[in-house]
Amino acid sequence: MERTKERKQYFFVVHELVSRELKRRYSRSRLGILWSVLNPLLSMAVLSMLFSTMFRRSIENYPVYYLTGSLLWTLFSTGTNGAMTALTDNKALLLQVRLPKTIFPLARVWGAFLNLLYSLAAYAVILLIFGIRPSLSMLAFPAVTALAFLFTLGVGNVLAILYSFFGDIRHLYSVVLTLWMYLSALFYPVSALPEAVRRLLLLNPMYSYITAARECVMYGRFPSGFLWLSMGIWAVLSWAGGSLVFRKWQNRIIERL
Amino acid sequence: MRKQENPGRTLAAVAVRDVSMHFRIPIEQPSSLKEYVVNLVKGRNQTRLLKALDHVTLEIPKGEILGIIGTNGSGKSTLLKIIAGALEPTMGEVEADFDSVLLLTLGTGFDRELTARENVYLNGAILGYSRSYIRERYDEIVAFAELEGFMDQKIKNFSSGMVSRLGFAVATARETPGILILDEVLSVGDQFFREKSGKRIQEMINSGATVLIVSHSADTIRKNCTKAVWLEKGVLRLQGDPADVCRAYGEMGKGGMQGC
Repeated sequence: MERTKERKQYFFVVHELVSRELKRRYSRSRLGILWSVLNPLLSMAVLSMLFSTMFRRSIENYPVYYLTGSLLWTLFSTGTNGAMTALTDNKALLLQVRLPKTIFPLARVWGAFLNLLYSLAAYAVILLIFGIRPSLSMLAFPAVTALAFLFTLGVGNVLAILYSFFGDIRHLYSVVLTLWMYLSALFYPVSALPEAVRRLLLLNPMYSYITAARECVMYGRFPSGFLWLSMGIWAVLSWAGGSLVFRKWQNRIIERL
Repeated sequence: MRKQENPGRTLAAVAVRDVSMHFRIPIEQPSSLKEYVVNLVKGRNQTRLLKALDHVTLEIPKGEILGIIGTNGSGKSTLLKIIAGALEPTMGEVEADFDSVLLLTLGTGFDRELTARENVYLNGAILGYSRSYIRERYDEIVAFAELEGFMDQKIKNFSSGMVSRLGFAVATARETPGILILDEVLSVGDQFFREKSGKRIQEMINSGATVLIVSHSADTIRKNCTKAVWLEKGVLRLQGDPADVCRAYGEMGKGGMQGC
């Protein structure tokens, strides 16, 4: 009884925090939430204009190729960026709340996840336009996304702690993110890379998630066992490590803020 | 160590046993990673131990109105945060029913970009009210804050008085808390609202809540409290009758403190 009440309150708080983020994000725009759908479409259009002729031979359906990767990449980049500043932004609330303080980064990552769900509307339209038929392997997509979510949450938790101690992590991280994005084969074919770099990509968790998503949606194949293993290990490692770091340092954060 | 209230063990609403709180304060606070690394390389990352609280023991019986007085940085707020369960002490233990603690401070944590209504829900959720509870009490909260007709406006258009009135109304909307902690909040809003908020606090006190009041003003403490405690540099200097404690505190300040 007590537990279910607590859980209900937990979801209520996270829901309030997330809806506040969404309201804030779109408070000055007329189209509001529609931007979550338009944004990926527009960046897809730009990238396709630039690169689809260049990579015509190696990538079929370039817009789908890009959009699939960009959905997961946006989840990761906005999720971690939001989680990073979650504690400092909510300074005043930290003292009042009796729930675990992880709700603040969690709410930010959850917000990024909702954003992905809205973007799926655009994704579905594009898939239709490019004649990609629904296949059984698409059932793997939610699982891939869920693992990417866990990975994002873990990284976000660590960043949230780091940022409370060192404000300029934010600038450093934006550089890291740029490099990371280029190493995730978001808008170019892997075959364009030299062999040595290609091997490096296998160590990049985001590349695993993006590749797996492309496999199961674009190519109608279930991701390989190796991919599943890599995705799972990264998700669990990141999530467990993030929770550990967060629990260990959260008390110090309250002292600092 | 934190403990939930154990009714068989003690009659006190709050028991603070030999609590110490130590902060490591870097002598040169590195605010950036670069500075930190540079300091690390130069071996300059020394820290100084700040004893915000030093072996404080305190028993607050149910129904007591305790005033805590002390200069800035004497550890008053740290003690309150520990009693409220927001901070874990370095040493010692605190026994209190953390679920029934209400900590009222001046910083409200409202989001300026949201409307007053949205802020009531967000803040209420954080304070631990359920959705249905907020819905039930919503009109009451608005009426108490005297903000009818303003609730769909963004908080950023409010005056600071309006914001603190709303903050007070939301925070005190709950059923009577077991332990009420007031951190310099007895001066919220204009004169009329102050009377009203004072009355509400008085109601909570009358209904048997244990109250902790932190104030710089010895006057406030003398008027409202049944007992007073004087904290100085983390050490509990004196406790007892409010008038006595305030006098001793005033003498220490050589008449420099107002109201004593």
